[in-house]
Amino acid sequence: MAFVVGINFAVALRLLGVAPRLEISALSRFYVIHWYAAALIFISGAALLLAYPAKALTNPVFYIKLCAVVIGLMISKRIQSTFSNKPEVSIDRTSIKLAYLSIALWIITLTAGRFLAYTHSTLLASRFY
Amino acid sequence: MIDFLLNFSQATGIYAFMNSPWGWPITESIHFFGLCLLIGTVGLFDLRMMGFAKEITLSELHRLIPIGVAGYLLNVITGTMFLSTAPDQYLYNPAVQSKLFFMLIAGINMMFFYATTAGDVKSGASASPLILRAKIIAGISLACWCAVIVCGRLITYYRPPYHWCFWC
Repeated sequence: MAFVVGINFAVALRLLGVAPRLEISALSRFYVIHWYAAALIFISGAALLLAYPAKALTNPVFYIKLCAVVIGLMISKRIQSTFSNKPEVSIDRTSIKLAYLSIALWIITLTAGRFLAYTHSTLLASRFY
Repeated sequence: MIDFLLNFSQATGIYAFMNSPWGWPITESIHFFGLCLLIGTVGLFDLRMMGFAKEITLSELHRLIPIGVAGYLLNVITGTMFLSTAPDQYLYNPAVQSKLFFMLIAGINMMFFYATTAGDVKSGASASPLILRAKIIAGISLACWCAVIVCGRLITYYRPPYHWCFWC
């Protein structure tokens, strides 16, 4: 998770004007690592979900986290396809909005992830039988 | 030590905040936010020094490092909040001790980097011994920060008195 969020933060900060001489097309090379890390997130997340399905599925915070992760990754894909191997593309207003949205979504993801441990009302599905 | 940390926590209001309904998860969220800033800047710099994304100039990527330092400071502040609120759960926890050990190694590694290699790396020097040294330093740094993350996650599973370090 730290690699996925960290790389997204780095790209978003660059889009917002930090380190302006750093080429985004070159920086987007790090998306390769980002997608491997994202795959790990989904594998480990699926394992945790299978281990305690009722704990997650009965908690609204889980769905907030899931939506934030999915939308965050969609924005990553959009930014990657816009800037990867295209040094001539300049940063427009849409990219800046996407950068702000990306930062907000990853902060929501981190926060929701931590709050999951404190907000669940059900631990085991056996409670329903 | 425990009394000192608890007194500090209570005197500064940290203890009351951390024991409020959402104090602990809010602080954990900020702690992880800081960690992501660190990995997103120092981690990328390490990967670049190890030879990834060679078209990026190290001096430009280094401009992101102050953000990583800010993330590290967030981690120090929030980490102190955890430690001072429940010192008995942290001081004698082998996962915490391992985490602090890897942070120490990362810190020494960073000082060695800035003392011996940083200037040449940022100026774009490309001598073979320099490249090898920079790659080793970057590898140690990245491995240490990954170990810090893993140990951080293990803290809750190695709480005293069920788990006890041999020198405690």
